Amino acid sequence: MSEAEKLGPDYELDLGWMDQTGPWDTRAEESRNGLTLADIQVGEYGRVPDESDNQTGRPRGAAPRSGSYRIGNYAVRTKSEIWLDNASFLYEEALQRQWSSATDVPWHTIEPLPDDIEQAQCQMATFLTEVEFVAGDVPARWVSQTTPDFFEARQLLTAQVMDESRHMDVFRKRAMANGGGLMAATGATSGFVGSIDLSRDFTEMSARLHISGEGAVLTIFRMGELMAYNDAEKAMYRLCAQDEARHVAYGVMHMRYMAETAPERHEEINCYLDEAEAGILSGSANPAGQAPIVSEPLAILLGGGIAKFDEGFKKLVALRRRQIQEYKKRVVSAGFGARFENGRSRINEILEQAAAA
Amino acid sequence: MAAFPSVEWFDDVRNIFNNEDSFRGGGGGQCNCVAGIKVGNEIFVLTFEGFECAGARQASLGDLDEVDFYLDMEILEWQAMIENIRQNGHAGLGYTLNTLDLDRDERLATSVHGDQYREDLFFRYNQTLQYFFDASSRIATEFAR
Repeated sequence: MSEAEKLGPDYELDLGWMDQTGPWDTRAEESRNGLTLADIQVGEYGRVPDESDNQTGRPRGAAPRSGSYRIGNYAVRTKSEIWLDNASFLYEEALQRQWSSATDVPWHTIEPLPDDIEQAQCQMATFLTEVEFVAGDVPARWVSQTTPDFFEARQLLTAQVMDESRHMDVFRKRAMANGGGLMAATGATSGFVGSIDLSRDFTEMSARLHISGEGAVLTIFRMGELMAYNDAEKAMYRLCAQDEARHVAYGVMHMRYMAETAPERHEEINCYLDEAEAGILSGSANPAGQAPIVSEPLAILLGGGIAKFDEGFKKLVALRRRQIQEYKKRVVSAGFGARFENGRSRINEILEQAAAA
Repeated sequence: MAAFPSVEWFDDVRNIFNNEDSFRGGGGGQCNCVAGIKVGNEIFVLTFEGFECAGARQASLGDLDEVDFYLDMEILEWQAMIENIRQNGHAGLGYTLNTLDLDRDERLATSVHGDQYREDLFFRYNQTLQYFFDASSRIATEFAR
């Protein structure tokens, strides 16, 4: 006998849940790009609190449930700590511009390469798989620490985790696709990249991950098109660069929000940038940096083989300059450009030292 | 046959780009930016909205102040890129937008305002921009010399 039959015809429905609603009579309308997150920011549902006391996983705008457990240990409950003004827009963009590493990369265009080129590609693929683990792990941790009241930022971070997962698998696939395989782990996840996961504050993490780390990797991904030997590698690097540019956009827009709304934290943020700049060319975190395990394969790929290493190294130096130039302009765009005028930043000095080394 | 560069040429490419579903996937998709095209001294402005390139117009040097970024090459460089796309059906290894941007002393993509956040749109929407120019493989192009 089913439960419904057991209750019998005289069972009285509770229906109390019908009175427990958020604001009613909501009619969100789709815009040119469909029904986006921006389109459902209607009335009270669109109001993001400056401070959140939501510890129960209650969706923003839903009626609270009395006696509910504190299911979330949300450390981020102050809006400015994680906010950016265009989170909804970037989230929709992330959803719309997804791609498949299985079918959108023309793997059939890969042909046998000279041994030194294949080994260099595989070393770069190993390195990029390694660092993308960090880029996926760290935002995931911050998603779970952020109140659901800031769901726009949370969902954008969740989309980033999906992107990074794809980056991990596409470079692993490249290593396996042409007679090579994974090579030595570079240790990139220690040192500066590893320190990203030690951040105790979201803005500290974002400055390290989005602005410094992913900004540098974005230039590498774009440079990937220059060191690609077939259409598959071109597509792989181009599509990763698109995703990475979106992650960098998170960092720039978050820092811009902090510049405008949290003047009491400017000095602290400048300290994060000091640290990021000190590490940008040292260690093995940046393949355009000075560690041979990553800079040598990069120069070999850019030059066209070991015999043309010097030619490749010149391109690598140009790549470093471009990384630094783009980094500086992003920091300016984020509202912290004064550090390049008041003598605080040592980035130019670091670049000159690297060129002379 | 439309001549490059001209509004007619960009409109022909827009017509193909806007009606091809495959350009909306595979890393393509919604794209919102205003891109300048500088061919020698001639300026054009392309407006991308959602899935479409919504408009192409001839412009002046001063209009470049307003675009997010602009792509700057001499006519012979544009011609080499477009002819390569026509031959391959898409940009060959040396002619993708990213490659052209990186493999030359002067950048392909730049801006007047110098705001890297806006210049980064060239990277964020690169596959869509590549699809747009790759669509030119389906039209015949005449070059004014």
